[in-house]
Amino acid sequence: MDLDRRGFLKIGATTAVVTAAGPAAAAWAQEGVGWAKAPCRFCGVGCGVLVGARKGRVVAVQGDPESPVNRGMLCIKGYSLPRILYGSDRFEAPLLRQGDRFIKVSWERALDTMAATFKEAIRSHGPESVGAYFSGQSTVFEGYAINKLMKGGIGSNNIEGNPRLCMASAVAGFYSTFGMDEPMGCYDDIELADAFFVWGSNVAEMHPILYARMVERKHQDPGVTIASLQTFGNRSSDDPADVAVIFRPHTDLALANGMAHVIVQEGLVNLDFVNRHTVFKRGVEHPHSGTQDTDEYGDAAPSWATYRPFADRGQPMTFDEYKAFLEAYTPERVEQLSGVPAETVRRLARLMGDPERKVLSLWTVGFNQHARGTWINNLVYNLHLLTGKIAEPGNGPLSLTGQPSACGTTRETGALSHLLPGGHFVANPEHRQRAAEIWKVPVERISPKPGYHTVELFRALDRGDLRVLWINTTNPFQTLPNAGRYRKGARKGGDRFVVVSEVYPSETSRQADLILPSAMWVEKEGMFGNSERRTQHWAKMVDPPGRARDDLWQIVELAKRLGHGALFDYGKEPLQKALFEEYRQFGAGRGQDLAPYQVYTRVRGGLRWPVVDGRETRWRYREGFDPYVQEGEDVRFYGNPDGRAAIWARPYEPPAEAPDADYPFWLTTGRVLEHWHTGTVTRRVRELHRAMPAAQVWLNPDDAKRLGVKSGDPVRVASRRGEVRARVEVGGRNAMPKGVVFVPFFDEAVLINLVTLDAFCPISKQPDFKKCAVQVARL
Amino acid sequence: MDRTRPGSRPRRLPSVCLLAAALLGGAASAQEGGKKSPGTYAGFPPLIPHDVRAMTGGECLGCHGNGVGGAPIAPHPSRTHLCLQCHVPQDPAAKPFPPGGRN
Repeated sequence: MDLDRRGFLKIGATTAVVTAAGPAAAAWAQEGVGWAKAPCRFCGVGCGVLVGARKGRVVAVQGDPESPVNRGMLCIKGYSLPRILYGSDRFEAPLLRQGDRFIKVSWERALDTMAATFKEAIRSHGPESVGAYFSGQSTVFEGYAINKLMKGGIGSNNIEGNPRLCMASAVAGFYSTFGMDEPMGCYDDIELADAFFVWGSNVAEMHPILYARMVERKHQDPGVTIASLQTFGNRSSDDPADVAVIFRPHTDLALANGMAHVIVQEGLVNLDFVNRHTVFKRGVEHPHSGTQDTDEYGDAAPSWATYRPFADRGQPMTFDEYKAFLEAYTPERVEQLSGVPAETVRRLARLMGDPERKVLSLWTVGFNQHARGTWINNLVYNLHLLTGKIAEPGNGPLSLTGQPSACGTTRETGALSHLLPGGHFVANPEHRQRAAEIWKVPVERISPKPGYHTVELFRALDRGDLRVLWINTTNPFQTLPNAGRYRKGARKGGDRFVVVSEVYPSETSRQADLILPSAMWVEKEGMFGNSERRTQHWAKMVDPPGRARDDLWQIVELAKRLGHGALFDYGKEPLQKALFEEYRQFGAGRGQDLAPYQVYTRVRGGLRWPVVDGRETRWRYREGFDPYVQEGEDVRFYGNPDGRAAIWARPYEPPAEAPDADYPFWLTTGRVLEHWHTGTVTRRVRELHRAMPAAQVWLNPDDAKRLGVKSGDPVRVASRRGEVRARVEVGGRNAMPKGVVFVPFFDEAVLINLVTLDAFCPISKQPDFKKCAVQVARL
Repeated sequence: MDRTRPGSRPRRLPSVCLLAAALLGGAASAQEGGKKSPGTYAGFPPLIPHDVRAMTGGECLGCHGNGVGGAPIAPHPSRTHLCLQCHVPQDPAAKPFPPGGRN
């Protein structure tokens, strides 16, 4: 779908009229600015924006007042959207490496070269020697298409997305507890809750509009309580939070079990709910944390042949056995482990268990980037299941995503190495059969063996097992943990070939053999799916610069050259529409129903799936709200065959690495409000760059005094793996506890992931970027 | 209040300010309080021309609520604690990014 001036008018005629609002509207109208809807390019909140374009150029945005997500509000990144397209160094032509430099080449030559390397690797070493690493910022069309090409065409399950680094533990948590991915509730819960638990998430900076809605709720009703549980003080634990709790890194496992202990001890369990809708389980304990190369290979020499990723095995247990398990987590023991006073543990549990209060839990990568990330997701579900506060208006656990389409693209189209679209799995023969039928390919084409997960994908590239890797819309050589190893691995030579589709130069494009210049955001048609199952569509508004082309076109051109063009040949049907109509067959009737393509092109703000008979679903698993729950069932967790959710006994286990005499500080990493991920886009917007020009090392004031440094002084932060140099900040927006330092990862001059540890959750395979041991030294 | 917050940061004055649904303020006020930056447009939130490093979003209306010392009065005082989500300061000493670029 392509919008020209007539298109803007046409959209206006078929939907609610898209025009600017507010006092500036008249001036814009006079200047000939045309408007169309789009979701914001940045975080997982999924704000709606109205995009103003004039003479082929985006000139303004405004928060869409009709979007149910943001209701006209935006954060500073959203307001900066028009500028992200027009940095001075956009890639405008394909670039092929020649020694230490890149030369401009034609698309023909670029794609032929890329296809030749794919073919040669597949011929010599089999389909598992090639891989694709896409993104939660890829569109639904792109995610579905690359998944189809890799799994249904090439026959390789080595397709991953960077959501493996941001929400794989959320996915594994959903599947293990509910048998189905994604939240049961939605953002409407924010206005309906009486208490908020913010778990290890700086929602004020990373999901600003959701935080704004929380604060607004609090102002409407001062009885509303915000409990902010963090590893360091930040904007989300400042006013107006009522309870600000700082716990030692990794001890959230103990804290959540301690709260469950109190809920059970003090009779706050909703027994009727627990008896009717839950079962109790325990899984494998003391699994690996992925730090050894042999962890996923049964101690054999790592290779594709020996690759056997760890899988959990749940065993049933009784409620009494679960209670016995909880006995170890007295508030006093939790205090010893976490540093949170026992009385505060009790207070938190009573707040969670108060039958008069509706409770909403929110978390993001503080839980997910965790060597026991699946477990801590399970543990927060336990609290909501024990109290029956789930899947109804105002009550629920709401897992937030960091990226605009981690849900819509990577999770829902199944663009991860173990998934097929619509909640299907490569290891399930019936699921492969269904995929083969929809894709019209022989079922043998789809491999039953899960491909390399992200850390193993890059370890395989380092070892040389993986020859060709296409990286698209993401920056792994800045974002992978222990990135130094993987940066070197990519440039070891031999028959390795790394293709990078990007819009601006990045740490990843610098390691590429071939750079493909991409279109971004409204330079192409797209769809995103946000944290609350909301699918949104936007049309192409302007052309990309120079010879840049959209990523879907790149996928199809590669497919044609590999002899898989038929996968994307839909005759006269527009490609995006045909892909979407095919894709939605996967989820139809399975609880992941999507509306027809045409509906999303028209609906301002999109729709939350399952969309059945034209109606979206706000609360899943609950009679009266979810069309899959029959009359009289009340609640049914239909992702599991018995209709029950699992309460998991998951213990506290120590982290993969902890501070010691040589490396006495905890390092935790994350984002900042002003920059999107690695800053590839946002650092090219002057206002954002000048608001946050460099990554700082946030230090506790006493630690700083002991080290003899003050704000602005340069320090070295080093681990056993690597080091960075940056300037200290002892104040500002964060307040660090003693012994903990925070360094954001957006700054390519402060590559903090040279320092981080590549430990991962053995179930979800998501790395833990939130804790490793470092030393800090004055320079 | 139950705060186990580490560090020595003092409690802040409670006050009010607002996330700029900037269009409520409108084009006329869009550049109040800061110099116009070349990349902004009608409706872009005003930039902050002073240091706010030690502040949280709850303090701004101490001055911007009633115009203390000539501070521009926030045209949208219905929400609080969220000012810094939209209004950001600018570091004039920031080196361009990419190096040699125009930012």
